[in-house]
Amino acid sequence: MALNLARTLSRSAANGPGERFVVWVQGCPLACPGCWNADTWSFGRRHVVQEDALVEEILATDGIEGVTFSGGEPFMQARALARVAARVRAAGLSVFVFTGYAREELTGRHAELLAHTDVLVSGRYREELRVAGLPWRGSTNQQVDFLTNRYGPEAMGGGAEVEILLGPQGATVTGFPVEIGQLLPC
Amino acid sequence: MSAFLTLRTPMLDRECLIEAIEATGLRRADIEVHARARALTGYQSGMQAEIVLRKQVTGDRYNDVGFRRTPTGYVAILSDDHPRFGRAWLADVQVAYDAAWTRKQARLAEAERQRLEEERRQLVEAQRVAIHAKAKAMGYRVKETRVGETVRLALVRRTY
Repeated sequence: MALNLARTLSRSAANGPGERFVVWVQGCPLACPGCWNADTWSFGRRHVVQEDALVEEILATDGIEGVTFSGGEPFMQARALARVAARVRAAGLSVFVFTGYAREELTGRHAELLAHTDVLVSGRYREELRVAGLPWRGSTNQQVDFLTNRYGPEAMGGGAEVEILLGPQGATVTGFPVEIGQLLPC
Repeated sequence: MSAFLTLRTPMLDRECLIEAIEATGLRRADIEVHARARALTGYQSGMQAEIVLRKQVTGDRYNDVGFRRTPTGYVAILSDDHPRFGRAWLADVQVAYDAAWTRKQARLAEAERQRLEEERRQLVEAQRVAIHAKAKAMGYRVKETRVGETVRLALVRRTY
């Protein structure tokens, strides 16, 4: 089964508990004002990856404790992500999902991915409710649900809020940045 | 003396030309190199060249050999009947020039690659230092790790 992805990051400490492989899917119908990832809204074909290839890449990454799905809107590709989630969980990894939908909006076809999710952060990003320092959330209206016993509220402390990668391809910021211009010198 | 040949060559680079002449078995000291063209002896028409092999090298019975710089490359000035520094020798010089030019291009490309890489390293280092300072001022603790060429800065909110 194919997935349309915006990008992946093989290791991040700012997208859920511990070191995680992060998958940003392509396509989101919500278009929250102030969204950091507006480039992921379009449903146009971007990086189309087969489920098998993605799972192999994730499982080949040493030292991670889980996978995070972000976007874009992960639940727009719920079925394919559910298959990936099931396979990585079978290998002992945890699954963390950021969605712009509210929890009560996730019904029917969304259930399959929910069934393989350990932690769900849900709700529209609301720029006017942005507060820096909220673990795993961009705005105060967003909600964190621990759907399994794997993690609890204690997992929310001590993690990185922002992560910056400086490398040959330039600078990349992930997590929940304050004004990026405040951090990056150029 | 016999007639002489003036052969136009595509040799543009002085350093490579000297290297090519040396490659035919001459010592660097045998090759006169001048910023301005000097007269060649043995010719009736006042020939001049910037790169010169004198009679001490070419032999008392023969003319000087020269390479004159022109806008389209060095032009060889030599006697066709010279047993060593004739047309066959010039062909050897041209082959050696091509090889020297290829090596020089590779050196330049590598030097440019290293310059750009160093420039990038300096930029990354400047960004790294600036982010550390700004993050600290904003109340973050920075955990730095490196994966290959990538520097990872994880900013953790200080709780103390």
